Amino acid sequence: MSGVSAVRISIESACEKQVQEVGLDGSETYLQPLSMSQNLARLAQRIDFSQGSGSEEDEPGPGGRDWTSPGDAEDEEGLVKFQPSLWPWDSVRNSLRSALTETCVLYDVLGILKDKKFMTLDPVVQDPPPPKQNPQFLQLISKKKSLAGAAQILLKGAERLSKSVAENQENKRQRDFNSELLRLRQHWKLRKVGDKILGDLSYRSAGSLFPHHGTFEVIKNTDIDLDKKIPEDYCPLDVQIPSDLEGSAYIKVSIQKQAPDIGDLGTVNLFKRPLPKSKPGAPHWQTKLEAAQNVLLCKEIFAQLSREAVQIKSQIPHIVVKNQIISQPFPGLQLSISLCHSSNDKKSQKSASDRQSPEDHLYVLEHNLHQLIREFHKQTLSSTVMPHPASAPFGHKRMKLAGPQAFDKNDINSLQSNEGLLEKIIKQAKHIFLRRRTAQTIDSLASCIEDPQIQAHWSNINDVYESSVKVLITSQGYEQICKSIQLQLNIGVEQIRVVHRDGRVITLSHQEQELQDFLLSQMSQHQVHAVQQLAKVMGWHVLSFSNHVGLGPVESIGNASAITVASPNGDYAISVRNGPESGSKVLVELPRSQCKDLPKSDVLQDGKWNHLRGPFKEVQWNKMEGRNFVYKMELLMAALTPCY
Amino acid sequence: MGVTCVSQMPVAEGKSVQQTVEILTRKLELLGAEKQGTFCVDCETYHTAASTMGNQGQAGKLMYVMHNSEYPLSCFALFENGPCLIADANFDILMVKLKGFFQNAKANKIESRGTRYQYCDFLVKVGTVTMGPSARGISVEVEYCPCVVANDCWNLLMEFMQSFMGNHTPGIPSVFGNKHDSIYSPADSMVQYMELFNKIRKQQQVPVAGMR
Repeated sequence: MSGVSAVRISIESACEKQVQEVGLDGSETYLQPLSMSQNLARLAQRIDFSQGSGSEEDEPGPGGRDWTSPGDAEDEEGLVKFQPSLWPWDSVRNSLRSALTETCVLYDVLGILKDKKFMTLDPVVQDPPPPKQNPQFLQLISKKKSLAGAAQILLKGAERLSKSVAENQENKRQRDFNSELLRLRQHWKLRKVGDKILGDLSYRSAGSLFPHHGTFEVIKNTDIDLDKKIPEDYCPLDVQIPSDLEGSAYIKVSIQKQAPDIGDLGTVNLFKRPLPKSKPGAPHWQTKLEAAQNVLLCKEIFAQLSREAVQIKSQIPHIVVKNQIISQPFPGLQLSISLCHSSNDKKSQKSASDRQSPEDHLYVLEHNLHQLIREFHKQTLSSTVMPHPASAPFGHKRMKLAGPQAFDKNDINSLQSNEGLLEKIIKQAKHIFLRRRTAQTIDSLASCIEDPQIQAHWSNINDVYESSVKVLITSQGYEQICKSIQLQLNIGVEQIRVVHRDGRVITLSHQEQELQDFLLSQMSQHQVHAVQQLAKVMGWHVLSFSNHVGLGPVESIGNASAITVASPNGDYAISVRNGPESGSKVLVELPRSQCKDLPKSDVLQDGKWNHLRGPFKEVQWNKMEGRNFVYKMELLMAALTPCY
Repeated sequence: MGVTCVSQMPVAEGKSVQQTVEILTRKLELLGAEKQGTFCVDCETYHTAASTMGNQGQAGKLMYVMHNSEYPLSCFALFENGPCLIADANFDILMVKLKGFFQNAKANKIESRGTRYQYCDFLVKVGTVTMGPSARGISVEVEYCPCVVANDCWNLLMEFMQSFMGNHTPGIPSVFGNKHDSIYSPADSMVQYMELFNKIRKQQQVPVAGMR
């Protein structure tokens, strides 16, 4: 039972004196220990001399027999057995005697043999083999027979082995199929119909209403040729997907400036994307099914979009041609959404792909489309969520609260927002386009106008329909004192709202010219503001300031602004007029005393009239030294400020 | 949802109900209010059934079941001075099942129908109150949508009402008084309608000249 080998335990009497009896009072009476000789006798008695070494037993000589027979007789007698034990050495003596006898006999035999007169020792002669008639032939036959026998045994064994190996493999494959099926079952919905296993690719359980059945079939792929080498990517389970879901598909969203040729409609080029590499460790059916499901989803998105495109009435009708939907969010601009589905076998599409540049993709919108359709799924799913109170109306979960919480018409309307996928995506596209164009406008202005400088700070986090940018207009080197123009541009779907630093709000349309003009006028105002700030720092006095001058030439963009500042001691004055179109004009007023070409008046004879201001003289601004307007102004002011 | 004031507009002398309503709506249109469809508030009266009343001396309480087209999915059940229940629209079906406890006084059905006007943040509903076949009065409901605290916007409401109701502008409704600074709810509007309807019912003995 247990594998533990038997343990030998030797037991010895612990106490030297043996207990004879135990008294009622607990006192023990001991036996007297044996004396040395008694002890030896006792031990010797235990030795069985008849059961000695094997050599004596093997050749039981006639003498030996004699000696043992009395022993047997003794056993039979029983009572007599105790007789010799009265003499303790009796058995020893007997054994010694028998040993002596045997030794004597052996000696005698050896003595006789030595003389070789009377006795010789001969090996025992066996029967001679039967006479052979054809020894060679017989040998051959027997050898053949025995070899055949051996071969048969070997063959049988080999057959059995190969059978068991095949069985093993078959079992393994079967097991592999089952385990693969189990893995498939963890990711996909499967059901058994007849003797087929069908799976579900569709998003119906997630709330999709797309009528495509989206079933795939699971195939057992076990009957491969055993002789051939099994390919590395061999999988005992294979899936068969519907032919219209094969290949790869994606939704392409792009915005183009020019209107398309009518002939080009509906022939959106496909460029094949390489099939996504299967993740290491993932079975190949997983990638296959995922690709098919993606095709299905793209088809659903496109079907939904084209349905909406036909239904929605817009000023410029949406065009649906083949696999393309075209809409015009802004005049002269077209948004095209197309379903690109390439099945693997079509080679013709390959050539078209090379010409197509992938740059006009709006990946954000493509991603958002997927997100929107999933939201749409979720919405349909949540409307029929079970369990459902028997008395509650069907519909959105919040709709159930609408009655008991007395929602008014507006609340209910907001719950039932049924803005379609297409409307949402067009709005997003408009926003993206507007944002892009705003960035372009600001960047081009910043790059072509060096003075003043424009800085744009874009916010990183945007809504899908709104984003904002902060625009600062500064002069290089004077960032600290010229901070008057800070604009916050909120870019929406159709328009841009500009919020001034002082809270004024201006709404611009999507036309880029409006934004450009606005920024130009702001830049021209900035220069005048900068002069005002500079005057404060330099200790000059502001005599007049106007953002919108009503005099002088009319500007095509905005209004000119003007400022007049006087030097600290009042001798000089500088007047600046700056228009977005006409540029800056700087005039300096000199005291009358410094004007030499002034005609001497007969009336103003007195010297005190020399302190009157004289006429304005224009400064040749482009000949002034300095890297920008404010720096030049600073130099001018410094030159006109007398040093005491 | 905002703060609402429901009031009665007396019929102008020498005019019919219809004409008075027309005068009011013309004034509103001149103000610049936009017409936005119609509205309807109805009220049904239920008696507590005699079988359920233990004490003979106790008068049966009246329960009013009301609907308001502004809250299309809701049904309001009110007791006078009592609690107000807001329920789903299929509360009516439940009331049919409760015939043994509440009996519908069909003759007492009263409703107000009219036009809904929007003027900026104000919603104005001028309606004709009818009981059975006869028109009995005019109701004017003014709602200020952006506010939910009654006392904060009462003055604004009153000023606006003065602009088209003139000296018939009502005083502060009683529901505002016990609200203090708490949030105004749709149930408060329904209580005001209930009070208005009760007032008009009691007037029914007094014949209004030139009503039809």
